[in-house]
Amino acid sequence: MFRTCDITGFKVDLQSEKLIRANAVFAVISLLLAVVAAILLVFTRYQPVHLLNAEWYYRLTTFHGLNALIFWIIFFEIAGLYFGSTVILNTRFCAPKWGWVAFGLMVAGLVMSNTIILMGKADVMLTSYTPLKAHPLYYLGIILFAVGALVAVVLFFGNLMIARREKSYGETMPLVTYGLMTAAIIAVITLATGAIIYIPTFLWSLGLIDNIDPAMYKLIWWGLGHSSQQINVAAMVSIWYMVSFLSVGGTSINERVSRSAFVLYILFICLASAHHLLTDPGVSSAWKVWNTSYAMYLAVLASMIHAFAVPSSFEVAQRRWGYNKGLFQWLSKAPWGNPAFAAIILAVIGFGFIGGTTGVIFGMEQTNIIVHNTIAIPGHFKGTVVIGTTLTFMGITYYLIPLIFRRKIVGFKWAQWQPWLFFIGIALLSISMIVLGQLGVPRRHWDSTFSGGPFTHNFNPAVDFFWALMMLGGSIAFLSTLIWILIVVISVFFGPKVNGPQDMQLKISPLAPQPTKEHKGYEAPGTLILTLIFLLVFIALFFLNWKWLAATWNVN
Amino acid sequence: MENTQNKDENSKVNFGKIIMDDFMLLLFLGVTIYAIFYLLWGVMELSNLPTIPEEIKQNLLK
Repeated sequence: MFRTCDITGFKVDLQSEKLIRANAVFAVISLLLAVVAAILLVFTRYQPVHLLNAEWYYRLTTFHGLNALIFWIIFFEIAGLYFGSTVILNTRFCAPKWGWVAFGLMVAGLVMSNTIILMGKADVMLTSYTPLKAHPLYYLGIILFAVGALVAVVLFFGNLMIARREKSYGETMPLVTYGLMTAAIIAVITLATGAIIYIPTFLWSLGLIDNIDPAMYKLIWWGLGHSSQQINVAAMVSIWYMVSFLSVGGTSINERVSRSAFVLYILFICLASAHHLLTDPGVSSAWKVWNTSYAMYLAVLASMIHAFAVPSSFEVAQRRWGYNKGLFQWLSKAPWGNPAFAAIILAVIGFGFIGGTTGVIFGMEQTNIIVHNTIAIPGHFKGTVVIGTTLTFMGITYYLIPLIFRRKIVGFKWAQWQPWLFFIGIALLSISMIVLGQLGVPRRHWDSTFSGGPFTHNFNPAVDFFWALMMLGGSIAFLSTLIWILIVVISVFFGPKVNGPQDMQLKISPLAPQPTKEHKGYEAPGTLILTLIFLLVFIALFFLNWKWLAATWNVN
Repeated sequence: MENTQNKDENSKVNFGKIIMDDFMLLLFLGVTIYAIFYLLWGVMELSNLPTIPEEIKQNLLK
């Protein structure tokens, strides 16, 4: 059963639409759970308030990690995979019943793991490093969720096969679906690794296995933990291309190069998991250097390609619409009133300048030593997973509400400034955490003043300022997330129905016109300048960290 | 001569396209590279670590 969308012209499989809706709803629920825990954690680490006791601090750190990094992200990605493989490809869903089985398993996993954590039987944090042992149902919940997600990924490939067989797309798969296919392949790697480590750990928690080697556990677990965040990167970049297409009619200036960049992700990005073992003595330097530099930099190259290709797709389209004056008219005349567009541009900036730069610097064996196990590490992934992926997912939701849920966005004015507020909040939170880490503040620590302990440590007095900044950033980000959740929930359940293109609050642009004469010179000079600024910032931060390393570790 | 050259170029383009568009092949390559360089190499290194001498172990556990 299909309906033809009167706005986009896409043929939408109704079964697929229901599955997209269900997964998206649970994504939002997971995000709500994650941010409620997050704000309590922020006000615990902010020493003047120090809200929770130690027990609840570690409990909610586990709860926050699982809901933010696994449930929110993967539920949303599954919705994205179904959208990309059926709606965009104008094809049917291969096995809807299995789609509901996958969804049921994921929901059961979410409920089981969260219940066990809140009962206080899994205070092991997201990594659950052995010999820390949680209740068996905690591991079982994660296994159920992972199996459900794996079934969903298999269904995605099934949809692709149907689309290819029925020739529902042209000669090559659309770039957005290609990026989602990349995410799905990385998901297979991630979930298979998860099975390798969680199944024996589950058996160990039942007492059926005597021992899980901690070093081996850590190696394999990070194959899941870090790679799962690379699913986000591929999905996020795909959405960037999609929003360029939807908002200004932009396409990559060289699709083949963009596809090649996705292939580099498939081949090399999962090796980055080795970052987490850079200070572990068990694995050799050869293993560390190969996995975190020689091979991994090919994936960094892919990100650099996308970092140029995405903004340049906006710029070229805008120039073709006539915004040609100077270097940046295309940017000043961009559709900033479109919250999806604003969210994506802010996500690109935040992901590149905060998450990307720190990712490369902290991922090097030498400079990693300054920040390893400090609060700078979660600061880094606030710059990737939150300001990058979460803001991107928030942005695309503004398109999903009218196109998939067929509802108008309630409180559109609020929606227009919500991405800005979220960006400011997370940027403050992330940067202050990175600086605190550079000053030696540990991560996952209930009381870094060591009050009542047998020893103490006097941090640089500047930490007080950055703690306050972190609390401020966290509060702003929390409020803007609540605003987003309220907009989504009210719009989806109580919003006025969309009856046609006249009800669309967000513009869907036609494809930008093709140039009438051959272009001479740079296609996207503004983007080139912005990219050069980014490279200069990166070089400055790179050498600053080496200088900081030399000042911290005096080697004679 | 020119035709042969064009044919060669086409076959090269098609070969690259075949790899890029074949998601099962990409899945195989992605899993294999990761499994060899990250997983198997890492597991082999950890498996070959010498066991801690019993005397030192007992001293540490005291």
